[in-house]
Amino acid sequence: MRARPSTLPITLGELARIRPLAGAELHLADPARAVERIVLAETFDRLRHCAPHELVVLHDEAATGGWSLAAALHLAWERNLSAVVVSRAVAGAASAALAERLTMSLIVIDDDPIEVALQLAGQISAPAAARAQRQARLAELLAEQTGVRGVLGVLNRELQGVPVALVVGEVVVAGQAAALLDRPQAHQIEVEVHTAGERSAARLVAAVPVPGPAAVDQIASLLRLARPSVQAAWARSRLDTAARAAHEQAAFELLRRLAEEPGPVEVPSWTGELGWQVGRSNRAVWLAPVQPAGVPSAEVTHLIRASWQRGPGAWPLIAEGDGWISWHSGADPDDTAALRRALAAFRDPAVAHRLVIGVGRAHDGVAGLMRSVAEARLAAHVAREAGAGAVQWFDQVGAAAALAWLPTAEIAQVADLTLAELMAARDRAPLVQTVLAVLDAGGSLSQASRRLGVHRNTVLARLARARLLGLTYDEPGQRLALHVLCYALTALWSEERQSPMP
Amino acid sequence: MIASITAADVPALYEGAKFYSPAVGDASRSSVNSWLAGLLERNGPVPLLRVESLAPETPCVSVCVLGSGSAMADLPPSGDEFVAAVRQIERLQRVEFGAIYPLAAATISALVAVVTAAQLGVPLLDADGMGRTFALIHHTAMHLAGVSPTPLVAVGPTGESVLVEVPSGPRADRMLRANVDTVGGWAALAAYPTDAGTLRRAALPGTVSRLASVGRLLLERIDPDVLVTRLGAITGCRRLARGRIAELEHLSRPSDVTIPAHPSSLVVDEIGGLGRQLRIELRSEIVAVFADGALIAGAPDLMCLLDVSRGALATLDSLEPGDLVDVLVTPADAVWYSAEGMEMVGLASHGIPLAHPRRR
Repeated sequence: MRARPSTLPITLGELARIRPLAGAELHLADPARAVERIVLAETFDRLRHCAPHELVVLHDEAATGGWSLAAALHLAWERNLSAVVVSRAVAGAASAALAERLTMSLIVIDDDPIEVALQLAGQISAPAAARAQRQARLAELLAEQTGVRGVLGVLNRELQGVPVALVVGEVVVAGQAAALLDRPQAHQIEVEVHTAGERSAARLVAAVPVPGPAAVDQIASLLRLARPSVQAAWARSRLDTAARAAHEQAAFELLRRLAEEPGPVEVPSWTGELGWQVGRSNRAVWLAPVQPAGVPSAEVTHLIRASWQRGPGAWPLIAEGDGWISWHSGADPDDTAALRRALAAFRDPAVAHRLVIGVGRAHDGVAGLMRSVAEARLAAHVAREAGAGAVQWFDQVGAAAALAWLPTAEIAQVADLTLAELMAARDRAPLVQTVLAVLDAGGSLSQASRRLGVHRNTVLARLARARLLGLTYDEPGQRLALHVLCYALTALWSEERQSPMP
Repeated sequence: MIASITAADVPALYEGAKFYSPAVGDASRSSVNSWLAGLLERNGPVPLLRVESLAPETPCVSVCVLGSGSAMADLPPSGDEFVAAVRQIERLQRVEFGAIYPLAAATISALVAVVTAAQLGVPLLDADGMGRTFALIHHTAMHLAGVSPTPLVAVGPTGESVLVEVPSGPRADRMLRANVDTVGGWAALAAYPTDAGTLRRAALPGTVSRLASVGRLLLERIDPDVLVTRLGAITGCRRLARGRIAELEHLSRPSDVTIPAHPSSLVVDEIGGLGRQLRIELRSEIVAVFADGALIAGAPDLMCLLDVSRGALATLDSLEPGDLVDVLVTPADAVWYSAEGMEMVGLASHGIPLAHPRRR
């Protein structure tokens, strides 16, 4: 006969999840213990003849309470039994303490011991039926859940000892992050969750301990059982958030138009309905991808919203252009504590989603908000130089922000055409860098050599070679153009170094 | 071995009697003590003799209190019950008893034997039938040696009496118990009339003087550790564990109908050592001690609790969760570990079908 996984002996943890033990008071020392037989013991003599891995249900003489349960637990420990089941009338707190001390599982039932023993015996003899019963129970529980977190909560509760997480990309959206940890005695299983009409967007990941309380394929089938619930919850929340996002986007556009009108602007009352605060001192935040790739998809917006609003709570998030706007409103323009906390909490998601963050200055009213948004956007452009996760405050940028707007790629193309000799040189990068440093230092060779960390003579030699290759930086008529060119090339090359994979 | 019992020995006898039956309360302590002390002062000391020092043909009879101690506190003896019981057997058998011995050298019964001897003006034998106390009147070494408890007489505080003559010992107890309530809740019992020659082989020797020695030690109120060591030298007792009472369980569960008792259970968390969980089974006395579910002591062992903070024995009706106690076990006399003895007073008689730790 072919060995089939479904006929593996059932474990204590599995039995404890279905009737008649589902409602019992459980003191499980090891849910992964296999239960190979059920013994209904009415005498101590019967207990003395039990074999290891048997579960014993006490009744009659063996369950008279007080000493008898203590002695039965001791015998069970001596005989290496899986668990002792006893009716509540004879089990006190001290018995549970003794069971824990002996690392013996104790299950306290309210029903008739003989009936319980008969039902358990049936479940043991047909583990597949018992598992089906468990799946049915899980399906019922899943059907009651309306949110993704609720579904993951049920999975983690029911699959005791098996952490489960819902993962998008490498980001844990819900569940236990422990599911992703690479542990030596855990077998990781994954079930793809397709969202409506999309390519694979998410995965349910579970780390099954091996050897563990449940067979790997059984967990997989339970995860597949949970898939429709996740999809439904996911779709429902997307419908809700999609509607809300469109609403917020339209409202913000209206606000922007208000700000453009001349004269002082009243704060419209509908901002309050959206949970926005605009009237006081506003400081805007711009979240933007390191590499702009057009308007982000609704999925990405959904994920960003989930991570951003996990920290700051009711802060708005409005998709605009290639990024997202948010802001904080408060009475004191200099109070940035709340914002700094929010940014600190968002650091990991920002890195995971490859985002940079710009922060504007605090300005009053609707017009002030729009101004702060413009500042934040500018700051975010500057922040791109520092890579994913970077935060740039506009206060610390100043006029240098203008450089962030240079179309470096186009300027580099100009260099390819006009400075062909230089661009063909293998050492073009240090040459351009050196010329930039000298121009930044207003012609001072000693300052430039300090900034580059090379000897002054090296600087001199590189300048000579650069001039030879066409970088005639010391001709006054060309100095501005070449300064801009050197800046653009340096910025482009450092960007390419930072992100080797497009 | 003391030669006689004087008024000064009474408090020590009482304390010793408590050690051998920890269930006894202190309800009738002062009245019984002062009664006996008064008697001994008036009538002079009671000679305490070894059984061998009497002529073998000397008739002897045992006395004890039958029934509940609290009933005796409610309805105190008028003083002549024990003498009346003895005299009734003397009349029936046409003998005059030359010595008295306690049926059980423990509880109040140890003291009433001295009372009776003082009233009759006869010596007290340094021997008894149990060496501690058991529940039923045929749980004696004499019964195991084939001595009949009958004819026996029970006299109640009302002055009424019951005479029982049966061919088999166990029947006597059943007939007697039916009458105890009627005669006032307790009765003075005179039983096992026999001669000194028979008692040389049938009774447990030295148990009364042992009682006085234990009592004197307990009255000193010394440090519990020293006390246990010195008790061990006299009685062979040892400490099973020291711990704090965690739980008192009053469970109603089926118990053996032949033994009148209210089963309950005591949980003690051991302090130091292995940190075991001790479970102490109570009937009218401590019948078994389990450590982590393993039986480590049981009837007929004598188990008692020593209140560590007071350095005194804890009576079973005064226990509270949180008390720090030493659990002491004292081996009973060897006769009780025989097959017949175990059958009569062993663990099985208390409804515990486990092998005794001394016989495993």
